[in-house]
Amino acid sequence: MLARRTLLRAGGWAAGLALIGLPAAAPAAAVVEIRMRGNADGSKVWFDPIGVLVEPGQTIRWINIDPGNAHTSTAYHPANAGHPLRIPEGAAPWNSDYLLPEQSFELSLTTAGVYDYFCIPHEEAGMAGRLVVGRPQGSLSAATLPEPARRLLPSPEEIVRRKAVRATP
Amino acid sequence: MLIRTILIAGAFALAVVPAQAQSVDKAPPGGAYKKVSELVKLPDFLPGMGTLYVDPKTLPAGPFLAYDHDGRLASTIYMIPVEDIQGQKTFDNLKAAGGNVDHVDMYYNAGHPGVEKPHYHIVLWHVSKADEARVAK
Ligand SMILES: [Cu+2]
Repeated sequence: MLARRTLLRAGGWAAGLALIGLPAAAPAAAVVEIRMRGNADGSKVWFDPIGVLVEPGQTIRWINIDPGNAHTSTAYHPANAGHPLRIPEGAAPWNSDYLLPEQSFELSLTTAGVYDYFCIPHEEAGMAGRLVVGRPQGSLSAATLPEPARRLLPSPEEIVRRKAVRATP
Repeated sequence: MLIRTILIAGAFALAVVPAQAQSVDKAPPGGAYKKVSELVKLPDFLPGMGTLYVDPKTLPAGPFLAYDHDGRLASTIYMIPVEDIQGQKTFDNLKAAGGNVDHVDMYYNAGHPGVEKPHYHIVLWHVSKADEARVAK
């Protein structure tokens, strides 16, 4: 967006018209979809996949496919009701707010690193997920993770190796 | 004239009494009951339960009144946080306005808007096991 606006200002009308209909300069990576799921009686809820490797700037889409519940994708960040910081220093926090069945939320992250997030109504039930953006160095301490999430979340190394890690609830 | 007035007033009083002891057999149940999907962000109809109504003052335990697609009462549900069971908390004199109970289910729920804490659903079914299909989806 920023690049396109700069070009328009520089080249004026002709460049602007030429841009319309042209494919993006770099091939856009496919959207990574993370499903918010629950079983029939609501006793299990989870992000599927629970761990995903994405490229910086790649679009991540959470979609609620659980017909009987609302879910959120919410970054572990003090801005979200005082939760511990579990995303890279300086990266912007996000909160999808409640998504009803079939509703979705999109985000792209540019800062490389490990991002942990949770679902507001299901944090106590262990509904959390992990994103690895790029090829970050080092690992996060598990100390600030709630116990159910600590048991479930795959390590960043495993996510990098397998690209997507699914958890069987 | 006075007698007629009293008679008319009496007739009104009689007409009012059944309305106060309102039946909850049909949705909406009225009174302090509110539709759960209008109180919190949840689908209108929850597969396996139906359309829920609750008096917000009674949260989280309820009772929640659950109706099928035709607005007929299917079950009365109590939602009891697991931590309250572990804490040996007493729940006393929970309302039960739904009438005859055919059978009872108890099952774990991971939480949902309105009752976020993992909890048990205690379901007093007012319909037969076979008729649970009315609220299946
Ligand atoms: Cu959730």
